[in-house]
Amino acid sequence: MAREERETETSAAAKVSSWPLFVALGLAVGEVGVVMAIYPLAIGGLVLFAGSIAGILTEAGYTERPWRTLTALSGVFVALGLIVVVTQTGTSVGAIESALASTDTIVLRGFSIVGAGIVALAASIAGGSVTDAGPAA
Amino acid sequence: MAGEQLALTVLMGVFLVGVATLVSRMENLRAYTPLVSGDAGYGDSTATSHKPSGLIRWLTTVDHKDIGILYGIYATIAFVWGGLAVMLMRVELTTPALNVLGGTGTYNGLLTSHGITMLFLFGTPIIAAFSNYFIPLLIGADDMAFPRINGIAFWLLPPAALLIWAGFFLDPLTGGAVGAAETSWTMYTPLSAEQANPGVDLMLLGLHLSGISATMGAINFIVTIFTERSPDVNWANLDIFSWTILTQSALILFAFPLLGSALIMLLLDRNFQTAFFAVDGGSPILWQHLFWFFGHPEVYILVLPPMGLVSWILPKFSGRKLFGYKFVIYSTLAIGVLSFGVWAHHMFSSGIDPRIRASFMAVSLAIAIPSAVKTFNWIATMWNGNIRLTAPMLFCIGFVANFVIGGITGVFLAAIPVNLVLHDTYYVVGHFHWIVMGMIAFAGFGAIYYWFPIVTGKMYQKRLAKMHFWISEIGVAVTFFAMLLLGYLGMPRRYATYEFNGLIAPLAQVTTLHQVATIGAFIIMLGQLIWVWNLTQSYLEGPVVEDEDPWNLKETGQYSREFEWFGEQLDTTDEDTPTLAADGSGEPSDD
Ligand code: HEM
Ligand SMILES: [Cu+2]
Repeated sequence: MAREERETETSAAAKVSSWPLFVALGLAVGEVGVVMAIYPLAIGGLVLFAGSIAGILTEAGYTERPWRTLTALSGVFVALGLIVVVTQTGTSVGAIESALASTDTIVLRGFSIVGAGIVALAASIAGGSVTDAGPAA
Repeated sequence: MAGEQLALTVLMGVFLVGVATLVSRMENLRAYTPLVSGDAGYGDSTATSHKPSGLIRWLTTVDHKDIGILYGIYATIAFVWGGLAVMLMRVELTTPALNVLGGTGTYNGLLTSHGITMLFLFGTPIIAAFSNYFIPLLIGADDMAFPRINGIAFWLLPPAALLIWAGFFLDPLTGGAVGAAETSWTMYTPLSAEQANPGVDLMLLGLHLSGISATMGAINFIVTIFTERSPDVNWANLDIFSWTILTQSALILFAFPLLGSALIMLLLDRNFQTAFFAVDGGSPILWQHLFWFFGHPEVYILVLPPMGLVSWILPKFSGRKLFGYKFVIYSTLAIGVLSFGVWAHHMFSSGIDPRIRASFMAVSLAIAIPSAVKTFNWIATMWNGNIRLTAPMLFCIGFVANFVIGGITGVFLAAIPVNLVLHDTYYVVGHFHWIVMGMIAFAGFGAIYYWFPIVTGKMYQKRLAKMHFWISEIGVAVTFFAMLLLGYLGMPRRYATYEFNGLIAPLAQVTTLHQVATIGAFIIMLGQLIWVWNLTQSYLEGPVVEDEDPWNLKETGQYSREFEWFGEQLDTTDEDTPTLAADGSGEPSDD
């Protein structure tokens, strides 16, 4: 399969990658943040996780640029977060809106996952439109 | 609270910016490409590829050999932690009353940490150390199929350890609000669902990460062994260690995701108000089924690769080929399949349906057959052989001997009537320690000595290595025989104190046996101190190995691929010998 070949080729060329460490760290921090309800860790960890996944896939040659992966992952986070929120509030839009003011930790954890998705989305838009479009690219 | 979170957010932001900067700088590393791409040989590509130096090399490596070394160092650190925890427990148990540790809670915390650390942070990683370093060499692959996934799998482990141990660090910092988990490694509900301590959540998260790590590793090994073999390696001559790793990986693939799901369900019960394991919900027994459906395969996940190591090393010092190579493989596969059909032998006394019990008893007894096949094969390999009692060989022989006791005590436990008497006593603790310490750790030591020249380019001190073996074997026998006897006397497991009524058990004998076990534990510890000293000292100052065949394997026609590779390294390099220290950045080595 073409994909596999590409992966081995890159690895034979460079036996180093800075991404694995951060993928692991992002997942660990994000998990702790969500479960322990420490929102900054949840958002930061998940963003780091998504960013590193996008980075490692690009480095391994599975994708050309990282931004589409990042957009996809941000979508997953928003959806997952909303599911968590909805388990507590029900599906009506009004209920979800008013839950924004809630202090219930489950709702807040859901919103923190949504938040991570939004930050990642912003990063992917910025990356796609600024970095890649700029003269530096 | 809001202030704290705000501060943390800012910190997190700064951290992320830092990461981004760091990574963009490290992108330059990609410039490190091989200077010459020689012909396809393994040695050429690595000997000439340049790696960054110092700490950055170890943080960014995706080279299977480096990752193997990282796993090894990690496992050793975990072994020390788990060992120190148990020494405190053993000291506490020299008297019936509580008079060393602060409280029974401390004992429970240490017990939990010891078990989880030894199984998940020492056992699995020490095996991964060997498989990462040597499987690609043994099957003639350039590297693992997915080197980056290999890196991720390793880097999940340090956070896992920190989380699993977090309760101990956070206890003093939070004034006891977060403490060490006291669930024991089996994390039985309802206890584990109802203990409010956030330390339990951290521990569960850490365990979950270690499970993800093991699963990623398993996928990598399966793909590597299937697709990356060199053309002259086929299923009929694939080495026995790779066979056991392949089987182990398959077991991991079926068992660990299940543990992961069960852990998430437990976390949800604890934090998101679900009721999977609640008495009036899914029931606490559900946890036991899920846990042991993972848990029993887990014990074979831990023991099959060491069996492979012994099957690989033992013939080398017997001067004979492994007796019944095919049957050793068949028995490995048989154990792999059967291990999923025995889990309820851990639940005989939990009140499950007696007909279910009987069938689980039958399968559990059946699994003893392939186990015995292996034992007889090892003995037959040594039979009439030309045995050389080097340190690796001593550990292999000790392994076989310890398996006889560990395995047979297991067969007794699998018989329902015996089990009902001995369940939850020290007999069970004795049984599995003959295996986990007497086999898994012993095979690890044997393999470390056997491959020490390849990994470090140096030779260890043989006298110290043999002392390490004898002291460990004596220590194991003293400690774990005492535990079997304690079990016969009815001493229950998982207790910090044993000031019970003399009608339950003869207190004087129990006390004596506990003291014997503690003395044995100190003997084991002495052995390990010698081990650590020997390895460190030999790595730094040991004689450089110049012989490509340090074990004289050519004489008996057993010279194998990994030593061939070692030989190539010795030949091709003038400055970069393949040592642990050489960071490949071209610094002249000082030997
Ligand atoms: C010959 C095959 C074996 C049989 C028939 C067997 C049988 C058993 C049984 C019936 C128990 C439950 C005892 C009880 O709690 O009442 C048990 C416990 C245990 N066995 Fe084995 N065993 C075998 C091999 C192994 C191996 C190879 C390992 C490790 C690599 C192992 C590790 C354990 C552990 C860790 C426990 C204790 C679990 C706990 O914490 O409750 N056993 N064994
Ligand atoms: Cu079992």
